[in-house]
Amino acid sequence: MLGPLSTRIEQYMDLLAARQKLVAANIANIDTPGYTSKDIDFQSEFNSLVQGESPHVIETPGLLMKNDGNNVSLDRETRLLAENGMRYSVAENLLRSQVLMLRTAIREGNGS
Amino acid sequence: MSLFSALSVSASGMAAQRTRAELLTENLANSETTRTPEGGPYRRQDAVFETSPQTSPFASVFESELNAGAAGVQVSEIVQDSSAPDKRYIPGHPDADANGYVAFPHINPAEDMADLVSSVRGYEANVAAMGAVKDMISKSIDLLRT
Repeated sequence: MLGPLSTRIEQYMDLLAARQKLVAANIANIDTPGYTSKDIDFQSEFNSLVQGESPHVIETPGLLMKNDGNNVSLDRETRLLAENGMRYSVAENLLRSQVLMLRTAIREGNGS
Repeated sequence: MSLFSALSVSASGMAAQRTRAELLTENLANSETTRTPEGGPYRRQDAVFETSPQTSPFASVFESELNAGAAGVQVSEIVQDSSAPDKRYIPGHPDADANGYVAFPHINPAEDMADLVSSVRGYEANVAAMGAVKDMISKSIDLLRT
C-alpha cells in the first residue's frame, strides 16, 4: 500500500511473527517427550520471502538431546523470544515512520 | 494472523503445566494416604504430554504449512505409578495386614518437589512467551495511532 520499502518491512514483521510462534511452540513443549525444537533459518527465508516464497520450518540443529528425546533449550528460546520482540519493535518503528510520511502528505494536500 | 495462534500455543503450555503441578501437589498431599476409594494405598500420578495442533478460532481458513509446524501441547493421559507400595511394620495401625505391615504409597517427596519446580519454571516460560507475543500484537495495533 505504501511502497516497496514498507512491503519489505511488512514481510520482515511477518517472518518475525512466524518465528515467534515457533518459539512459543517450543516453550510450550519443553516437557513433551520426543518433541524436537523447530526454527526458521531467518536469513535465507527472508531472501526467499522477498522472492515470493513461503517460509519453511526446520529442526534446530546442534542441540543437546535429553533422555526423553526432547531437545528444547529454554535458554535459547528465551533469548530468541527477547530478540524477536526487539527486532519487531525496530521494524514497527520503521513502518510507523512510513505511515507518518503518508499522513503528512495527506495533511499537506489538505490546504492551509 | 499467526501471532494470535501463538497465544493459543502458550495458553496450551500453561494449561498442561498447571495440570501437571496439580497432580504433583496431590502426590505430595497423599504421600502417607493408606485408604482410597479403589482400596489400598494412594498411587502416585503423573501427566504425559503430547503435541497437539493449536489454531486461533478464526485461523482455520488460513491454514498453511507454517501452522502445521507450530504445535501446542496437551495432556494425553494421566498415568498411575504401578510400583509396589512401601510396607512398614506398624502392628497397631487399623490398615495393618495379618503380619502387622501397613502399605504406604511409594512416593519420594524429593522427586515430586523437583518435578514441581520444573513445572513452575515451564509455566513461567510460557507466561513470558505470551507476554512477548502480546507486546508484538499491541505494537502492530498501535501502528496507526500517532
